[in-house]
Amino acid sequence: MKLLRVENERYFFQLDRDEKPLFEFLLRLYPLIPSAHQALSKSSAHLDENQRLLDDALAEQRKENKRHVEKLLADDDRFKENETGVELNLTGGEIEWVLQVLNDVRVGNWILLGSPEEHPRFDPDAGNAAYVLTMGLASDFQMDLLMAIKHN
Amino acid sequence: MPEVMPDLERDEKSKSDSAKEPGYLVICWNDPVNLMDYVTHVFQSVFAWQRPKAEFHMKQVHNLGKSVLVRESLEKAEHYVHQLQKYSLHATMERDE
Repeated sequence: MKLLRVENERYFFQLDRDEKPLFEFLLRLYPLIPSAHQALSKSSAHLDENQRLLDDALAEQRKENKRHVEKLLADDDRFKENETGVELNLTGGEIEWVLQVLNDVRVGNWILLGSPEEHPRFDPDAGNAAYVLTMGLASDFQMDLLMAIKHN
Repeated sequence: MPEVMPDLERDEKSKSDSAKEPGYLVICWNDPVNLMDYVTHVFQSVFAWQRPKAEFHMKQVHNLGKSVLVRESLEKAEHYVHQLQKYSLHATMERDE
């Protein structure tokens, strides 16, 4: 995915023919992180009610991001076909939730691998290939988006 | 025996004061999965920090295992933890004792 230009606070990216289905595949995996996975505090047991509220807020956030994903993927105006693939346009606000979605997929696959302390290495014989490849794919798109907003 | 009524007003006031006291640390913990550039970006977005400050805290997380990002009231600390967890960072709030 390559940044083409920024116009009126909208970012235009070129995705080649293989990248569009990969991008779509990743977004459709969302959400992968199990609900109630994240603790509000490591030490404060008195925050039970607050923990429940946090879990609810994160669940609502996931629903909202899922709605954004469905809407984006159904919107043909966002993916304009051209000679080499498609041109995707996103606002800065949309890039924020796409980053959240891609990172959920990356972290979710890491959790599926058993949350290893060392970054998992690709090993086609270990049965982890799909998870490691998906993590790498998500981080490639994340870095493209991060570079685009960092320099603009 | 005189009837002793609970001092509800004072109780409520002390509860609400405690929620406003800046007695909670918002901490981000290291993990082997989140990208360094991503963590820097999230700190910039959530706290509206300039890049050098965000990078400083990202490096603390990476090198020391954790970074105390802010010291806030209960309510604000909860808000920041929620924002950081929205981005799937490993963040918690701990009482500053």
